Amino acid sequence: MTVPAIELRGVEKSYGRTRALRGIDLRVEPGQIFGFLGPNGAGKTTTLRILLDLIRPDAGSASVLGFDAQRQSMDVRRRAAYLPGELRMYDTMRGAEFLDLIDSFRPERRDPRYRAELLERLGLDATKHIRALSKGNKQKLGIVQALMHRPELLLLDEPTSGLDPLVQETVSQLLEDAVRDGRTVFFSSHVLPEVERLSQSVAIVRAGEIVAVEEVARLKSRSVHVMEITFRQSPPAALLEGLPGVRVTHRDGPLIHVQARDGVDAVIKAIARYEVVDLRTEQPSIEDIFLAYYSGDAKGDREREEPRRAAV
Amino acid sequence: MLRYSILRKTLRDQRWQIAGFGLSLTAMAAMTVGIWPSYRDMLQNFDIPSAFQAFLGTDLSIATPAGFLSAEFFSWIPILLIVYAVIAGTGAIAGEESNGTLDLVLAQPVTRRSLLLQKAAATAIGSAAIVAIGFLGFAVTIPFVDIAVSLGDTAVACANMLPITLLFFTLSLWLGAVLPNRAAASAGAVGVATAAYFVNSLANGVQSLRNLQYASPFYYYGAGLPLIHGINWWHAGLLLGLSALFVVLALRTFTQRDVSTGGATDLDMAGLLRRIVAHGASS
Repeated sequence: MTVPAIELRGVEKSYGRTRALRGIDLRVEPGQIFGFLGPNGAGKTTTLRILLDLIRPDAGSASVLGFDAQRQSMDVRRRAAYLPGELRMYDTMRGAEFLDLIDSFRPERRDPRYRAELLERLGLDATKHIRALSKGNKQKLGIVQALMHRPELLLLDEPTSGLDPLVQETVSQLLEDAVRDGRTVFFSSHVLPEVERLSQSVAIVRAGEIVAVEEVARLKSRSVHVMEITFRQSPPAALLEGLPGVRVTHRDGPLIHVQARDGVDAVIKAIARYEVVDLRTEQPSIEDIFLAYYSGDAKGDREREEPRRAAV
Repeated sequence: MLRYSILRKTLRDQRWQIAGFGLSLTAMAAMTVGIWPSYRDMLQNFDIPSAFQAFLGTDLSIATPAGFLSAEFFSWIPILLIVYAVIAGTGAIAGEESNGTLDLVLAQPVTRRSLLLQKAAATAIGSAAIVAIGFLGFAVTIPFVDIAVSLGDTAVACANMLPITLLFFTLSLWLGAVLPNRAAASAGAVGVATAAYFVNSLANGVQSLRNLQYASPFYYYGAGLPLIHGINWWHAGLLLGLSALFVVLALRTFTQRDVSTGGATDLDMAGLLRRIVAHGASS
C-alpha cells in the first residue's frame, strides 16, 4: 500500500468556544490534485495549518507523507510547501530577495533555472519591492515560492484568489506539471468551478466536518439548477411543491427560489400555466450543492438549514 | 552563506535603526565630553544640593568627570537602548505575528527555536553595534578635551550598558511570545522599564525606598560606577542571567503554542493579563 500524502484521523480543533474542526478524517493518495472545498470558515485553513504544525490539534492525528505532522514536522516541512490564504510577505524586501530567503531554508533544493522559468511563465518582475506589487502579483510570488523547490507536496490555501483567468490557467498548468512529475497538490477553495477545473478528487468540508469525498466527475454530474422565478401574481402556495428533485428554498409572494436536481424541465412545465415576469438561473454555490445532495432528507434538512447557515 | 538567514535578515531590517540609535549616542557622548570644561569652571562657585545629586542616580560626585559623565550620559542613555530593545523584542515574534508574516516562514524547514534564537542573536549584535558606534563619540573627543577620564574606562562603562539592554530586550521578547500582540507587549515592557528607572532614581534620595531599589534592574546596572570601579560582575551576571531566563521562557511559550495569523490577536486587556499570569505560573 502506498504511503498517503495526507492522512487525518479524528482531528479536532477549537479556538476558545468555537469548534473549528469536529473530527476530520481524510486520506489523500499521492500523485493527484486534490481539492478541499468548503465555504469560508468551514475549517480549511485550520486543517492546512495543522498539517504544517503552525497550530496543534486538540485531538486526533495528522500525518503528511508518512511523517507525523507534530513530532516530525521538520521532515514534513522539508518536503512540503505552503501557500497561505492570507498571504503576507516582507513588504520591504524585493521579490527576488524574498525568494532567496525561502531558498535559504532548503539550500539542497535550490533550482535557480526553474525559479526563473516560473517567474517568466507567470509574468512576474521579481526585482520590485513586495510592497509595490499588486494583490495579484503578490499571489504570483506566493505561488513561485511554493513551487520553486519542487516540493513533494504542495499545500495551497485558495491558490488562485486574486488572479485573473489567464494566470489561473497558467497556475493550473503548473500544478498539472507537478502532478505529472509524481508530486501531490492539496488545495483549498470556496468556489466550485475552480475545484472542478483543477482537481480529480474533492473533499467537501462544512462547519468543521468532511461531508463528502467525491470524484470531481461525479460531483459534476450532480448539477443543481438554481432558479429565481418572478410571477405577475402570486401563484398558488402548492405550486412546485412535491415535484421530484425540486426544492423550493424561498417563497415570497410572486417570487420563488427553486433548486432543481434533475434538470429544469419539470419546473418549466409546472410554471408555464402562470404569467412569468422574470426567470433567472444561477451557478450553483457550494451551499446549493450541499443542500441539494449532502444534507440528508429534505424534511430534517429544512429544519436544520437556518442554524447551520449561522454556524458557517 | 545560506546559514543564519533569519539572523542576517533581522540585522538587515534593523540597519537604519542601529545607525540612528548609534549616531544619537555618538552625538550625546561627544557633546557631554565637550561641555565638561565649561561646566567644571561653573561648578567651582556652586554648591550642588545633595538631593539633586542623589536623583542623578549615582553615588559619584557630579563635580568629578566620572560623576558628570554618569549623570549626563550613563544614567539615562540605557533608556534609549531600551527603546531599541523593546522595538526589536516585541517585533521579533508578536510583530511578525500581527503582520501575518510568521506563517510562511514557519512553514519552512526552520524550527521555532532556531527562529527565535537567531532573532535574539541579531538584536544582541545590534545592541553591541549601537553601543560601539556610541563609544566613537568618546573616542574622538576625550583625547582632545581636558577631562580626567580614560578612554579604556569609558569603553568599560559603555559595555556595561549591554546587560540591562539585553534584559529589557528578552523581557519584551517573552511578553511578545506570550501575548501575540505587539502593542500590549510594548506597553508591558515600557511600563516595567519606567517604573524600574524611577524607583532606582528616587531611592537614591529617599531612604524609605532603599529596599525597593534592589528590585530595580537599574540598581544593578550602576550607571557611571564602572568608570571608577570597573564592571561589577555580580550585578552584570544577574542581569545577564535574568536575560537568559527570559529567553528560556520565551522559547518554552513560543515552541508550545499555536501560531496566530494576523488579526487573531485582538484580546482585551483583562485577557492579556490572564495570559501573562497563566504563563508565568506554568513556566
